[in-house]
Amino acid sequence: MHAVAEVPSFASVAERHLDDVHAYLVYLTRDRGIAEDLTAETFERALRLWRRFDPRRGSARTWLCQLARTVALDHFRAEDRRRRREGAYAAADREPPEEGLFGGLSPELERALAALSAGEREVIALRVLLDLDGETAARVLGISVTACSTRLSRALKKLEERMSADVAA
Amino acid sequence: MSQPELLDRIRSARITASPELRARVRAITAATPVASPPRREVPWRRWTLVLVPACLAVALVGALAVGLATSGKQRTQQARGGAGSTTGGFSSEAQRDTATPAAPPSAKAGGGAGLPTTPGRAQLYESELTLKVKSLSAATKRALRLTRSFDGYVRTVEYGSGAERGSAYLVLRVPVGSVQEAIVRFSALGEIIDQHVSIQDVQPQLDRRFRAMQTLRDAIARLQARLASPTLSADERKALENELVASRRQLLELQREQVRLQRQTSFATVSIALRSTAEAVAVPSDPGRIGRALDRSGSILLDEVKVVVYVLVVGAPLLALAALVLGGSHLRRRRTESRLLSTS
Repeated sequence: MHAVAEVPSFASVAERHLDDVHAYLVYLTRDRGIAEDLTAETFERALRLWRRFDPRRGSARTWLCQLARTVALDHFRAEDRRRRREGAYAAADREPPEEGLFGGLSPELERALAALSAGEREVIALRVLLDLDGETAARVLGISVTACSTRLSRALKKLEERMSADVAA
Repeated sequence: MSQPELLDRIRSARITASPELRARVRAITAATPVASPPRREVPWRRWTLVLVPACLAVALVGALAVGLATSGKQRTQQARGGAGSTTGGFSSEAQRDTATPAAPPSAKAGGGAGLPTTPGRAQLYESELTLKVKSLSAATKRALRLTRSFDGYVRTVEYGSGAERGSAYLVLRVPVGSVQEAIVRFSALGEIIDQHVSIQDVQPQLDRRFRAMQTLRDAIARLQARLASPTLSADERKALENELVASRRQLLELQREQVRLQRQTSFATVSIALRSTAEAVAVPSDPGRIGRALDRSGSILLDEVKVVVYVLVVGAPLLALAALVLGGSHLRRRRTESRLLSTS
């Protein structure tokens, strides 16, 4: 007979993982304001779906990151539609990131991180910043563990190259 | 800067939520209901593991139940028909208004459709078939099974032994409504060597008896009316009462005969002689209720398998199409996500 896993209260889960979810969304969106809005939306959605959370299938942090990713992708889709409607391009919309966006890193590293794609930044956020293991990160991203490792490796390599180029310049 | 240094620096940086965001999230969580137990979501694989055996069990139990029920009905019909298992041959109705001559010998299987009965008329239908079969045992069993499938019953089975090895003689009773189809199916058991169909129209007999019964009923009513008269002498009353008793007895007898004849006409008699050049094999015995139930259940299970195969054959293209659509939409979604994440 399976023991029923203890389900913590939603409030305690939200309090414990707010920073992680927010950090992940900052990396993903490269915009603190949007990340804050999406974080709030993630927790709203999490509250609605809290009954579906099963601790036996993964930690609350993983579940929240999955939700945050869905919320962010919805946002990206809406933005994409808006840009198409307005005839603008993503590149034209891009503004330089605000200072200290990624938690007070050096300006070169912040620039290098901001220059990466959202997909590359999110794998760094999950594997490095939130320190998720490969399997959990892969589950959040909906890809295989190998693909996740490859993506991380490429992202770090690109980051390193950008940093070197920046220093050389 | 090396990769380990980069990782260390990224890890050391802390991104914390602003007090405003914390307040927003707290406001959201303030509406948190009392922690409820997680909804027990059963994965589809587990559902499949439960549902497939459950469906199989339902199919099996259903087939067995129907088989048992049908086998009981068979026995009831047999009892109602009053057929002894060893009473011999045809019933001895003498006069036949119509008699059809034999079909040409060596008629091939499938040609024995029999003669149609006339709807609305009471007829005694008798058919005799002589068939050459490859396997006597299999053909006999099949004939018995066919009889049961038509809700008929077996009156006699004589399976050849000793000098009669290689032949079987069956007298079967089949509902008149299904007799034509039954004869066609019986004929397919082998090659037709001989065929006779005899139809005796007994409707005039029934009508005559009905009129006689009506006359008797009228007479009884008149006698009862006369008996009600207070002016009758004792002798007259005695004579009338005797007459009334005799009329009632006569009416009862006519009613019984009428019912018996009607019952007879509701079933046709089909006599089948099976001949085989091969050596006779195991004698098929009249199966008991369990045997009949198992036999019937087997047929029902076979029908169920046919239905499942039919559904699969018909539904497979639709399922494949649905899988393609789902797969396509999943792929499209993944591509869109990938594009969005690479451009954002």
